[in-house]
Amino acid sequence: MLRLQASILAASLAALVATPALAGGPLVIKVGRAETATKGVIEHAVILVEDGKIVAIGEDLPVERGLPVIDRPEWTVVPGLVSAYTRIGQDSEGGDDMSPDVRSRDELWPKSPDLRKVVEYGVTTLGIYPAGNGIPGLGVAIRPLGDTVDELVLKDPTYLKIVMRADSASKKRIKDGFKKADEHAEKVKKAKEKWDKDQEKKAPKKEEPKKEEVKKDDEKKDAEKKMAQGGEEPEAAQEPKPDAKDKDKKPEFVPPAPDAKSRSFVELREKKLRALVSISGAAEYLHWLDALGKESINFDMRIVLNQDSDVFYVFDKKTFDLDVDGIGDRKIHAVVEPLLTFTPNTRRVRNLPLELSRAGAKVCFTPRSDDLPNYKAWLGHVGELVGAGLAHDDALRALTIQPAELLGVADRVGSLEKGKDANFVFLDGNPFEPATRIQAVMLDGKFVYGEVDQ
Amino acid sequence: MIGLESMRRLATGLALCAIALPAWSQDPPAPAEEGKDAGDAKKDDAKDDEPERWFAIVGGDVHTGTGEVLRAATLLARNGKIHSIGYDLYIPPDTKTVDAKGYRVYPGLVAISSQGLLGNATSDFDDTMDPFNYRMILGLATGITTTGAGSGAVKLKRFAVGGAVLNQKIFATFSWSNSNPRGKGELREKMKAAAQYLREYREWQRKVKEEKELPEPNKRGVDNSVLAVLQGEQTAKFVANDRDELLGIARLAQEYNFRPVIEGCMEGWTVADELGRAGARAIITARARRPKDERQVLAGGASIENAAMLHKAGVPVAIKPANEGIDLSGLVGRDIMHLPLEVGFAIRGELPDKAALESITIVPARILGVSNRVGSLEVGKDCDAIVTDGDVLHYKTFVQWTVVDGKVVYDKEKELYFAHIRPRPEAPAPKKIDAGETPPKDEPAAEEKPADEKKDGDEKKGEEKKDGEKKDG
Repeated sequence: MLRLQASILAASLAALVATPALAGGPLVIKVGRAETATKGVIEHAVILVEDGKIVAIGEDLPVERGLPVIDRPEWTVVPGLVSAYTRIGQDSEGGDDMSPDVRSRDELWPKSPDLRKVVEYGVTTLGIYPAGNGIPGLGVAIRPLGDTVDELVLKDPTYLKIVMRADSASKKRIKDGFKKADEHAEKVKKAKEKWDKDQEKKAPKKEEPKKEEVKKDDEKKDAEKKMAQGGEEPEAAQEPKPDAKDKDKKPEFVPPAPDAKSRSFVELREKKLRALVSISGAAEYLHWLDALGKESINFDMRIVLNQDSDVFYVFDKKTFDLDVDGIGDRKIHAVVEPLLTFTPNTRRVRNLPLELSRAGAKVCFTPRSDDLPNYKAWLGHVGELVGAGLAHDDALRALTIQPAELLGVADRVGSLEKGKDANFVFLDGNPFEPATRIQAVMLDGKFVYGEVDQ
Repeated sequence: MIGLESMRRLATGLALCAIALPAWSQDPPAPAEEGKDAGDAKKDDAKDDEPERWFAIVGGDVHTGTGEVLRAATLLARNGKIHSIGYDLYIPPDTKTVDAKGYRVYPGLVAISSQGLLGNATSDFDDTMDPFNYRMILGLATGITTTGAGSGAVKLKRFAVGGAVLNQKIFATFSWSNSNPRGKGELREKMKAAAQYLREYREWQRKVKEEKELPEPNKRGVDNSVLAVLQGEQTAKFVANDRDELLGIARLAQEYNFRPVIEGCMEGWTVADELGRAGARAIITARARRPKDERQVLAGGASIENAAMLHKAGVPVAIKPANEGIDLSGLVGRDIMHLPLEVGFAIRGELPDKAALESITIVPARILGVSNRVGSLEVGKDCDAIVTDGDVLHYKTFVQWTVVDGKVVYDKEKELYFAHIRPRPEAPAPKKIDAGETPPKDEPAAEEKPADEKKDGDEKKGEEKKDGEKKDG
């Protein structure tokens, strides 16, 4: 059995951090217990990691001779933590009140020391939200380590953040957003009518491609504008680009691309984008639904918990005989702090994350406050809720797979499954016990924290 | 002194108002408006494609707020509107019911104004109200289902937003104050100008049919809110207490033919018949006190009989407590949570029971212009009702259930605040139903006589008790 010195391994890995493609050959990790978040617990787990991915995971898998092995039977491994709603390491300059086109990606700062620090607390995926009130823009999912923005980004955009407050301005913003989308739909309709007419004529076949070229130019200009704004051209998945061969075959209608201001709401309507709606009380949930009216979009909730939160009133429809479906009834994700609260105006403790999860919502934890001390204490804070009745497995899911789903990166991170990124947190015991300490953290197959003997 | 004076006033007031009274005591909204409203309601019914929602309050003594009491009757509501009130009603299956046997059913109370019951919202209530805040619960626990708020009327629709605002921009507020004589003159000038404009405008309207070229009269310099008042689109509201202020307002109102709402109205009892003739409506705080101005020769100062004398003179009286909010400091009993208690002080001054109930139901509803929907239990109106364990104006009475739009939005047993005080028995024991207003045996009678000394003591006790409750809450 090959045994490497930890220092050598660490040194070589440190050199590789910047170049994930070279992440290297196979590595076998044997631990006493693996909590997979999606497939239950595997005792005496063996995990084979190669090229930064999990190649195999199972109980007492046979290990090929000659592979490097890390054998720590006293350790428990859980998926790398996912913080789906954070601005750690970013400056907090807010956008204006209505900027659904702003991308958090454009303001990422890869060298932030905070990003390097949260890794030590077990966080391997972050969902950065756009700063500001109103409708500040689009979030981005990142891995915390990398030298360039491209290396950081896992998914862009993740969600459109909408801050809903109980005021007329909030409702107006949402209605204005959909009005923009209406205007776009009208544009598409007119273009289609024109295109149909052109098709009917048949004879001036040459005009059609010309028109498309013009449109393409427009697109280019649009994209250039975006580049100028500091971002890359967004994936224009929503518009089937006219290929050269398409022109030869059957001409197809190409709808005009939505402009920057209307794009987010057009995509919301087409359900290509989800909204993350921030509320701080039960009333705001009802006002959000009221503002939404008959629009049908996919959305998740960010619920800002405070000591006297009354948000439990809207967890489900039945308990308080609501006119609308509650947050739990919709089976949506709900981002909350791991915080025990009180029934308003009393000292009666409530475990709202527990109530949310019982009502059917998929809880995603965010640290109590978006700073390093609270990231450091994150597992402990969640542990307090577990002590107050939240199921261990629910708590783990709320730190891993559920936020990964919210960010749309659950195919890559959030659980210990074959094919997923090798993001692990190694602990010396139950992750939610106060005495447990993080021993090591692996990101994309490399140890980024902790001293590990092989 | 006061007694004698008031008696004399009262007699003359009564005599003078014999003719005026019928006209004002009915106080219907303008017929055209009522017709419109009725039409709207029908339209609403027609477009209702949602499944029918039935709700019934079964077996309670229904005090309709219009003077009738239906013993052990049933109130049935369909889609939030009162469908029928009576006996042996057919109750459709899946009807949600409240068993009110042994309890009383009243129309939901209407607070002429309040603060904070809708959360921190101060305007745009449909967009900003907080239907979960604890002050709304306390408001509903008091029995309030509709409140004047800002310059509108809003329902305490709990757990729902949208559709709560019943009426907006009701009042045009003016000042008529002894401390600002110039203001009086200015208002009179504005009235004059607006009336002149209205006359010219109507004449122009008549003539323009023949002479197409006739220019429309110039509106420049005409005060819009005064014009709205003279056209009956808004209600003129004054805050005034002094006798001569009240007289001035009454004369102005008669001169320009509008019906003022006067808040305060402390010396109203001294000029009650003039106010009655002018069609004034009064918003009073029954226990408000002030001494008579020493310089004034005629009767003055506050009187506990104020509400009663205004009422007798044909002035509809709405009652509001001294503090419009939920006040958790100072002495208990003066805030909006004790709206019915405030009426108790008017009852001490001999305000009749019917008028007392009306002062916190139909009268404020009329002043707010929403009496076509709330303020009494009548078929076709909104099913906003309260179920109480006694006379709603008795200090010992608790609201057991509050219903808004045919939906229970407050249940004493399910809320933190009063559940522990005299908890409701599982199935309420059937109480003796008699023909009169005698409350159950273990409770001292509200209307029992001699009431004065006894009631005073009891009230104090009640206040102390309520204080204790609050601390618990």
